Amino acid sequence: MYRWFLALRWLVTRPINLLGVLAVTVGVWALIVVVSIFSGYLTEIGRHLQSSTSDATVVRLPDDARFARIEEVLRRDPNVAAVAPRIVWQGLVHPLGDDAGKAPPPAGMAELGAPTPFVAILGVDFEKERDVSGLDAWVKDVADGSVRASDPANPLAQVGDLPAVMLGRQRMQDDGARRGERVKVTTGRLVADRSGERLDFDDGEYVAAGAFESSFAAFDAFNVFVDIATLRAQLRSGERRVPDDWCNEIAIRLHDPRDAEATVARLTRLLDAIDDAPRGPGLLVRTWAEANKAQIGNVEHQRSLMKLVLFVIMVVAAFQVYSTMSMTVTEKQHDIGILTALGARRAGVLSLFLTSGIAIATVGAVLGVGLGCLSAIGLDDFNTAMRAVFDVDLFPVRVYNLKRVPYELDPTWIGQVAGVAIALGALVAAVPAWRASRHDPAVSLRND
Amino acid sequence: MTDTLLAAEGVTKEYSIGSRTIAVLRGVDFALARGETVALLGSSGAGKSTLLHVLGLLDSPTAGRVAFEGRRVDDLRIDERARLRHARIGFVFQFYHLIPELTAYDNVRLGSMMDRGLFAWLRTRRALSARSKDLLERVGLGERTSHRPAELSGGERQRVAIARALIAEPAAILADEPTGNLDSKTAADVLDLLFGVSRERGLALLLVTHDEALAKRCDRVVRLHDGRIVD
Repeated sequence: MYRWFLALRWLVTRPINLLGVLAVTVGVWALIVVVSIFSGYLTEIGRHLQSSTSDATVVRLPDDARFARIEEVLRRDPNVAAVAPRIVWQGLVHPLGDDAGKAPPPAGMAELGAPTPFVAILGVDFEKERDVSGLDAWVKDVADGSVRASDPANPLAQVGDLPAVMLGRQRMQDDGARRGERVKVTTGRLVADRSGERLDFDDGEYVAAGAFESSFAAFDAFNVFVDIATLRAQLRSGERRVPDDWCNEIAIRLHDPRDAEATVARLTRLLDAIDDAPRGPGLLVRTWAEANKAQIGNVEHQRSLMKLVLFVIMVVAAFQVYSTMSMTVTEKQHDIGILTALGARRAGVLSLFLTSGIAIATVGAVLGVGLGCLSAIGLDDFNTAMRAVFDVDLFPVRVYNLKRVPYELDPTWIGQVAGVAIALGALVAAVPAWRASRHDPAVSLRND
Repeated sequence: MTDTLLAAEGVTKEYSIGSRTIAVLRGVDFALARGETVALLGSSGAGKSTLLHVLGLLDSPTAGRVAFEGRRVDDLRIDERARLRHARIGFVFQFYHLIPELTAYDNVRLGSMMDRGLFAWLRTRRALSARSKDLLERVGLGERTSHRPAELSGGERQRVAIARALIAEPAAILADEPTGNLDSKTAADVLDLLFGVSRERGLALLLVTHDEALAKRCDRVVRLHDGRIVD
């Protein structure tokens, strides 16, 4: 009993213990806040990527791929809810009269979502696309009426005699583009001739019919939407043969996205089994997670590295607990002597100091968890207030291509951090505790 | 059961400092009877505190044996010696050795927690708390229970230490110069208390001192010189 009694009294009455508590609190706090932001970021981009990619896609379709035939095969699977064709093509969007071949902006600016004419042109059938991706909501949810599509139910419909292009809201704002403004969309393709391969450009004149806005600013910055038939026609120029229902990607929405991997395996078998299946060099059915493996893996890797770096703070905190306990043992030699005289055993003295170390680490861990959770939840509001009052942006959301500071509190991770903090506290307290238990009481009680 | 409570037979205690061996006790024979008060007199460095520590099982003799109630105890395992020390021997030291973070009441109460687990202590805590308060009343500190050692005078601290030594109802109190740090008036009060409780409870009292006058208040005086008992 005296172990608990004294350990708790020492905890609250000895100011030096507060240093140990503070160190553990900071370590736990940092691990929870930073990792919860990374996890929130991962969830946010995962949600967006699933929403933009759709649950699964068929890619590497050959030039003679017919959407109608493949759709019929894909719909045989009971987990397939909707299917939509896409043409994904690289190109440029620029005001009329601009030179299509001008140099791109520095790569760093492109990473930050700065305006660049280079984009992925996504040719979609809006009626089908709304069933497989978040495009419908991205168009309808634009709050700024000056860039919102005139007809959100059919945003890619022709405007007058020109086809429509939907641009990211931020891109329109940064470019100073207005709804109804004419833009040039340039596509390029490699053409083989006797002298080798050359790059040919095809220009199309479009009208900026309005903006879309997803939750991920980078997607909005580097993608534009046009009607698939219009893009197909633009690509058909010259010698190129493009079938009427050709597409180079098919998006699939599943009834149960959790069963995506098994469904993708079934769909692969279905496509392989049909006689007239498109036999491209590498036709591939993949889940949204597989399609975005590199991007997600990159963030996950950064999160793991950050965990490792922040763990060092925890180790420093553990050293602080060690030095606190070591100092306590040195200062408490008379107390150890008197406890021994009162009948304390070696194991009792050892567990007294061990309990003290664990108490310091536990209080630090509890405070760190509490403050960490509160900080993660309130960081966006805090950042907004700092921006408003001091013009200081602690977490520039545009750099991270997000609208707000993300966070996700994972109870397992929180438990692991708190558990490791307490275990480390016990581990480092064990050394001075052992020293205390070996202390000769006759030495500390001697008068002379 | 023998009348001798605590005995040392041919006890030698040596310390090694580097290659040197220093003998602090040299074949000491000593006995403390039940309810007896004995003064252990000697100059500084004579080995008084060392003998008290050996008799109190805080230290082991290099040679010889220590017996408690006729049973050899110096060769017991360290945990068994701790258990015996807690149950049967109370200590009072010159420098009080109170836990500075605890109040007088908690310092006394601490002595009752040593051999009890959390649940056992919770079951008996009311009785033990009452006993702690009674003891503090007995030593004249009924009004000072919530004061910490730093808020008490030297005499009051020593009274708390005496109450703490009594909480486990020992058979003997080993006091190492208990008045060595007190003025003469306070020292006399503390000694009155110590002899009083010893008489009331039939406790054996071994008093280490170098004060001849104080020693005369005991039933018997034993002189230690250069590690040997001289009379």
